[in-house]
Amino acid sequence: MVSPVLLIAVPLGLAFLIPLVGMASRRATGLMPILACLFNLVAVVLILPAALSDAIVVRIGGFAPPFGINLYAGPLGVLFAGLIALAGLAVSIYALGYIRRGSIRRYHLLYLLLLVGANGVVLTGDVFNLFVFFEILCISSYALVGYFGDRGGLEAASKYLVQGAVGSGLLLLGIGILYGMFGTLNMADLAARIGSSGGMSVFVPLALIVSGLGVEAAIFPLNAWLPDAHSSAPSPISAILSGIAIEVGLYAVARMVMTVFGAESMMAFLMFLGAATVLAGEMCAFAQRDVKRMLAYSSIGQVGLVLFALSVFSPGSVAGGLFQLLSHTLGKGLLFLAAGYMIYRSGSRRISSLNGMASRMPITSLVFAVGALSLIGLPPFAGFASKLMIVGSVLARGGTMLTLLLGAVLVGTLIEGAYLFGVVQAIYFRKTPAGAEGGRAPVSAVVPMLLLAALIVVVGVWPGPVAEALRAAASDLMDRTAYMGGVLP
Amino acid sequence: MSFLESNVYYMGALGLVLVGLLVILVRHNLIKMIIGLSIMDTGVNLFLVAVGYSRGGTAPIFSRAASDPAAMVDPVPQALVLTAIVIGVAVLALALAMAVRLHGHHGTLDMRKIRELRW
Repeated sequence: MVSPVLLIAVPLGLAFLIPLVGMASRRATGLMPILACLFNLVAVVLILPAALSDAIVVRIGGFAPPFGINLYAGPLGVLFAGLIALAGLAVSIYALGYIRRGSIRRYHLLYLLLLVGANGVVLTGDVFNLFVFFEILCISSYALVGYFGDRGGLEAASKYLVQGAVGSGLLLLGIGILYGMFGTLNMADLAARIGSSGGMSVFVPLALIVSGLGVEAAIFPLNAWLPDAHSSAPSPISAILSGIAIEVGLYAVARMVMTVFGAESMMAFLMFLGAATVLAGEMCAFAQRDVKRMLAYSSIGQVGLVLFALSVFSPGSVAGGLFQLLSHTLGKGLLFLAAGYMIYRSGSRRISSLNGMASRMPITSLVFAVGALSLIGLPPFAGFASKLMIVGSVLARGGTMLTLLLGAVLVGTLIEGAYLFGVVQAIYFRKTPAGAEGGRAPVSAVVPMLLLAALIVVVGVWPGPVAEALRAAASDLMDRTAYMGGVLP
Repeated sequence: MSFLESNVYYMGALGLVLVGLLVILVRHNLIKMIIGLSIMDTGVNLFLVAVGYSRGGTAPIFSRAASDPAAMVDPVPQALVLTAIVIGVAVLALALAMAVRLHGHHGTLDMRKIRELRW
């Protein structure tokens, strides 16, 4: 059996090998993230059967929780680690050909650290440890957004940094208050103590932690940085930020609110926030003329949809929300990767410059269409299965308010359909402007895009096994007693 | 008076956090915003230390504490603060490096003037 610690330790070790490898060969540094992701994929496949039946608790250094730090590799954490490795693999192959300017070594080092941070957040069982991994994720993404050092990128990165740093300050303050109240940092121990104390006293740390994590998760009033950062970053980084970073933020919010605080009274509030996030994101996306900015706003909308589904808080809807999260990672990652080379070839980010792209870049256009249709939620793609699961479970839960909110969310989805169809129409049915440049994407870009597109179709055609695993993950998130029992003897 | 007396460290620390937040919100100069960030970080760190503080407590060193463990200050928040300070320094350094590059591009650090990206 592979220990889940290796999911964090091996990528971290490889990340720090990059400067050494870089001394020998600059090109070889690009292979390190691929190596790390391949290792993680294999490890996840080996760990997953055991984790699905019974969560694996790893005691770091042999200290028993709540005194030592422990990792909690339940179904949710391991599935997330697999998703990170999968998206990370696709993006790191893509970056081999795409990233040619600047210090390539530093790019790959920061990129791998970002993945380490994401893996750490989803696997840890200690709130301060979560904070540290979260900071690794955030700091490397600030640096990567401004990687090219151009005007837009630096402006976006500095805005992102200031907002993100305020968020992590609030998060740390919340963690400090929790420690002052309960004298422990272990999530399971905190959950047990919060359950027995009850009342309003835990509201202050809960509010601080949700608003701190909410900045990275791009929940509605806290997401002003996202459209700038996701659209100005290099395209592979946009893909990983949209596909992994905000999802990990959402995971952290859900883990804290549901498992640690067990704050079911907070759910109605988060549900409203989710619906508001969907509408705000999709309406802003509809007005965009810049394709990457449109995709960035659409990420806000999708985050809102996931948050809405999670906070309906029935086993089906939480599983549906996680499914939507997965299909968004695959779909939006694919869209940013495809858009990256279209922009690279046409030299402009305006949607009108993509006119007639299908004749110039057939494969890239095809996978863009697959990603867009999946995001809209059309069969036979992954987005259809996940949205169907959300709608079905929310209607099964019933209630007037819930149905109204679901209606608002579906309006958002319709708007999303409208603008994504617009782009697909421009790519396939508008005439190529005279003198437009364009050439096919290189193999290093086509392989990861086809990989993601194939995954979207496979998950869309056979959603059964994925949905089954996600139901286990949902109960991992919702069942506090099992979580506490698993960690504390 | 006793409430104030027993909570004076918490109030000071939270006051620093609020001062930092205020600076970030009302100043437009990026350097000043970064200073605000630093003040806020200091406040949070001070709060963490205050959580583990006990008046007249001894240093959390095992040999001395063995004689009277109850008089020892809590070592865990101090370890947390060490980590948080390192993280804060890293963020600060990155922010200042970006500010230098941004000034090179725009010739100003006024965030009201650096607004090429819009909604």
